[in-house]
Amino acid sequence: MKKSWHLDRRTFLRASGVCLALPWLEAMSADKTSATNTRFFAGYFPYGVPVPKDDDPKRLAHGWFPVGTGKNYKCPDMHKSFMPLRDKVTFLSGLSHPYMRKTSAHKGADHFLTGANILNDYELQEISIDQIIANKIGNETRFKSLILSARGGVNRPYRSSTLSFDRSGRAIPSMCRTEEIFRKMFGAVTKGERKELASSGSVLDEVLSDAKSLDLKLGKQDKEKMDEYLTSVREVEKMTQRAVKWQDTPKPKVNAKGLNIGVDATEPNEYLKTMYKLITLAYQTNSTRVCTFQMGCEQALHEDKYPEACGIKGSAHKLSHVNNDYTDRAKYQTWLNTFYSDFLKDLDSIQEGDGTLLDNTLTFFGCATGKTHQGLSYPLILGGGKNMGFKHGSHLAYSDDVPLTNLFVTMANQMNVPVEKITCSTGAISEVL
Amino acid sequence: MIVKVLDLILVVGILPVFGNTEFNKEIKPLIDKYCVSCHGPETTKAKLRMDLLDPDMINGKDGEMWQEALDLVNTNDMPTKKAKVHPTKEEREKMVEWITHNLRKAVEAQRSTGGNIIMRRLTAYEYSNTMRDFLMLDLDYARDLPVEGLAKEGFANNTKVLGTSALHFEYFKKIATDSLNKVIMVPEKQPAVYTFKSELEFKLPKEKPVTDSNESKKDSKRKKKKSKPTSKTLAGLPIKMILKMEGTNGKNKISPVAELHFGELVEGKGVILAGNRDIDKIGDPFAEDKKIGGSKGAGRTGLQPNIDFRLVDPPYTGKVLVRVKAAAIPGKGGTYPKMSLEFGSFRGAGYTQEKEFANVEVKASMDKPQVFEFYVQAENYPIQANGSSARHVTNLRIYNDFRRGTSSLTYNDLPKLYLESIEVVFNGGEIWPPVATQNILVDSKNKNNEEAYLTDILKKFMPRAFRRKVSDAEIAKKVAFFKRIRPTEDSFKSALVTTLTTVLCSPHFLLIVEPHKADDRRKLNQFELASRLSYFLWSSMPDNELFSLAMKNKLSNPEVLRAQVKRMIKDPKSAGFVHNFTAQWLDTEGIQRVNVNPEYFSFDDTKKFHFADETVAFVETVLKENLSITNFIESDFAVINPFMARHYRIPGVAGGGFMKVPLKPEHHRGGLLTHASVMLGNSTGAETHPIKRGVWLLERILNDPPPDPPASAPELEEPEKGEEGKHSLKERLLQHAQIESCSGCHSKIDPWGVAFENYNALGQWREGSHDPFVHPKYRNVTVDPTTTLKNGTKIDNLKHLKNFILTEKKEHFTKAVINKVMSYGIGRYVEFSDQKNINSIYDKVRKDDYKFQTLIESVVLTETFLTK
Repeated sequence: MKKSWHLDRRTFLRASGVCLALPWLEAMSADKTSATNTRFFAGYFPYGVPVPKDDDPKRLAHGWFPVGTGKNYKCPDMHKSFMPLRDKVTFLSGLSHPYMRKTSAHKGADHFLTGANILNDYELQEISIDQIIANKIGNETRFKSLILSARGGVNRPYRSSTLSFDRSGRAIPSMCRTEEIFRKMFGAVTKGERKELASSGSVLDEVLSDAKSLDLKLGKQDKEKMDEYLTSVREVEKMTQRAVKWQDTPKPKVNAKGLNIGVDATEPNEYLKTMYKLITLAYQTNSTRVCTFQMGCEQALHEDKYPEACGIKGSAHKLSHVNNDYTDRAKYQTWLNTFYSDFLKDLDSIQEGDGTLLDNTLTFFGCATGKTHQGLSYPLILGGGKNMGFKHGSHLAYSDDVPLTNLFVTMANQMNVPVEKITCSTGAISEVL
Repeated sequence: MIVKVLDLILVVGILPVFGNTEFNKEIKPLIDKYCVSCHGPETTKAKLRMDLLDPDMINGKDGEMWQEALDLVNTNDMPTKKAKVHPTKEEREKMVEWITHNLRKAVEAQRSTGGNIIMRRLTAYEYSNTMRDFLMLDLDYARDLPVEGLAKEGFANNTKVLGTSALHFEYFKKIATDSLNKVIMVPEKQPAVYTFKSELEFKLPKEKPVTDSNESKKDSKRKKKKSKPTSKTLAGLPIKMILKMEGTNGKNKISPVAELHFGELVEGKGVILAGNRDIDKIGDPFAEDKKIGGSKGAGRTGLQPNIDFRLVDPPYTGKVLVRVKAAAIPGKGGTYPKMSLEFGSFRGAGYTQEKEFANVEVKASMDKPQVFEFYVQAENYPIQANGSSARHVTNLRIYNDFRRGTSSLTYNDLPKLYLESIEVVFNGGEIWPPVATQNILVDSKNKNNEEAYLTDILKKFMPRAFRRKVSDAEIAKKVAFFKRIRPTEDSFKSALVTTLTTVLCSPHFLLIVEPHKADDRRKLNQFELASRLSYFLWSSMPDNELFSLAMKNKLSNPEVLRAQVKRMIKDPKSAGFVHNFTAQWLDTEGIQRVNVNPEYFSFDDTKKFHFADETVAFVETVLKENLSITNFIESDFAVINPFMARHYRIPGVAGGGFMKVPLKPEHHRGGLLTHASVMLGNSTGAETHPIKRGVWLLERILNDPPPDPPASAPELEEPEKGEEGKHSLKERLLQHAQIESCSGCHSKIDPWGVAFENYNALGQWREGSHDPFVHPKYRNVTVDPTTTLKNGTKIDNLKHLKNFILTEKKEHFTKAVINKVMSYGIGRYVEFSDQKNINSIYDKVRKDDYKFQTLIESVVLTETFLTK
């Protein structure tokens, strides 16, 4: 499928912005305070980053981590595209997940957002930070969260193709096909979806009527237990009714013009751009407030050929093992970063209330591998979220023993989800506030 | 706590009113003397009139105030330091004791159901077992359900704590739909069968086995050679032989590879596996088996002789049939090999996940090998076939689980497992449609008439789901439902799934329903009794025999009940009782809350599951062999596996799995109290914790739980920097207990825990001033198990304490066990009104040598158990 109506970013935004119709917002949004406008994004790229030695003269030319800390850090070349937003992003170094520091390689996506102790036992997987947040702020929108990856599904343990895990630690399947994502968010409700909800509704009705006839035969103490059961069924019924209501609420109308719907990961330039644009649209239309996107899975398939799209031979995996000359790695990473910085710029160009969409969106981006094969000092960029109290503009360097989940604790609390501890966190990280 | 006590006001007094005379004689004078000057009619500080507090905490309204007074008196904060007169230590203790006792009675009254047994939801594990037995599909249905909370005495099936949330119901509905789809929506024709078979008739390698310890270099060279099988030996047995076999994935021929590690080849016939390699160290019986090879060298595989079949992309759902032809070469002293089979998967960068699906003793002789067939549900195992481009390898491994353990058996002494052929059939095995499908889609002449056919299906489905007879009206109601939804459904089968989902979400399925309108108690009907029995002993639904006895109105006959209890205990499903009762009663989960501190012990924290397994295996032995429950306190045997034998330093233990091993005094073991699960679960992971151990003994074994510590109880003082090693935790605890305000309670708890001092945090024996099991830095400890119980009895050590329980407290302990079993059996707290029944059970148990089965049988035959 090669229907490319590719317009430049500005045109696209103006076009889609104008065409947004939001009849349902009034009806469905119970709480219109600005707190409901908070969004969360987490992004991931595979295989770690180039980390030249401290005395390497090409450190700024090839390295990921900025030189110097605080506000006056020197920005490496690969991050130049972020510099228009210098005061809206923070570079972090040193942080990692303690349980997974010993992990050998290439399985970062499984624990990037959970920090769980899955080194030897996958059953110990836990809920991911995006879901902790979505459970709280995701109930007012059509979709609780939007889970995306370039591979789709969940793949397999230790080679996850999703960043998100539910409260039992089960992987939540990700969507990868642009047309499916677009249809789900903006297309018509399918017959299958309608049928599924309808049959769910009739099952609940039937169960309730069974329960009510039983209730008549019960004594007082049993009735109290029965009430618990009835309440639980009624609550699920309410959830179903809400879903039906959403189904009957027209989806926001979005002009597909400027969107390369149908493109897939074999055309990385188009694909990554389109995926980030879909995410922007999802936030903009308030279809969801929580989104995760895994740009690639750490297992050979089309994402492994991304480097070819910027003119480098060899797979992303192979590239990540090159340690003598970082030229190609730096070029590749610069290319990857551009999609993300464009995304942040997009968010920042959309006005919302007193600020921009970026000010209402906390963005977290990075990888769970630092240097090749090392589970230490993850490359991380925190951005946006000004309206949740985040302050940026620095490079914050932490020592290697600080758990990344400390930052998760801060993120959750600023997103209005009170949490004291996430896996093995030892506190919070207040320097980003 | 305070809120709970407040609730009491609403409860009409059920228990007798306590102690007005005692109050007036003993307590009131103390209050008048020490409290009223500040909290009386003249001065009323904090708006509290102690002279007006109602001493009846069950029916009165001052429970909350009493609780607060207790906390302050307990911690010496009242009377204040400035007060003119202060109570003596004895007077303070008297007050504390009186208030504590009465508050406890009040709490018991509050949680009382007046003796009634209230309807309850199935616990998550009962739900999973019930679905398994009902659908005949062995899956872990409870995986995604929230973990159950525990009642105060530890039981998860207590109706007071078994809530049903929306989340529960959402999952019940989803699980029902998913599993019904799985059973009903199977294709008409069996999908292509993935199978492989091998006669294991290999020829010996032509090349000479290489004996070289530098194997990694050689290994990479060998990979380039195509000749198979190849081998290499290390001191005799080949490290690895590559063997090829044949099969089909339904379309094409496949040739899976098998790797034989440390096995012997009987040319042209089969392979031989011992439990240990010939090179494993036997000089020191307590040394772990030498580790070589494998990613981490851990685990059973990669270390031990085994044959490993590597299957590429087998189907990962449905039934799998594994057929093995095997025989035994008996070992020294007539021992036999144990054949263990497991599926496992490579999980990225060197990690494997294995799960055993069978472990059987093989006794057939070499000239008459026996054929073993195992059916396995693929979903339950880490079988990889995600269908993406990558090839996913699943391993089927067979090894001999008879291990040398702590014995000094030589390689020649070990029993060997002889394997002659292996066959594996994926995709439903050999029966199609699968049994589970046939079980629901019954054979019927009405198959062409949807409604009539549905009625036939429901007539079989609903009574088993609701665990009782089902009326025609109930079936008609479901048929009507089916008619309503049929137009929107694509097919009969999909409408059937939706209809049956309503049955599996019905309260009649998810709850244990015993309808009764009046407030008095009534006898259970036959079907209700069948369910109560089966959830008690199996944690699952009744089987056909129980149903048919109920149908014939025979189940409530005491003789029939006795026979059924015996039968049910014998049935493998009694694992439900053994596991759940034991884990909840003795809190074996405790070991999961405590991490072994690596600074103290070189112990692999992931191996502590053996501890809990030992405790379960011990209770199982006492139950299955119908032994006296006094064995829980003291026994002349242990039930251990080679791992625990090494942990406890018990020599001469060889074999597979848990086995009964006679004990000698120098082993310092016996009963449950010395189990590593108990010792670790009630420690800090580094040091012992006498208070926790004491509380555990009182709560779990003697059913005499001490009151919760007051909210204001001071924390243990942390040692000063640089003085960490100076005072042991025990010393610090005892210091704490000497604070006057704390000693009242602690003098009743701590002595019980101090008696365990010979057992370190991992339950290993230590004495004198030396713990040989901890790291050198912490080795110097003063081990002093001597203690004095509150009543003045001097206790020398744990052995002595066990003896004391079995002589002075035997009735107390027996009643405690009865209490626990009954509470678990009926799903509520045992109450004052059950006391009469407990006494009569006690008499029966005492007269029959305290046998565990007699105890269970007697519980089943009491009025409490037989009534709603």
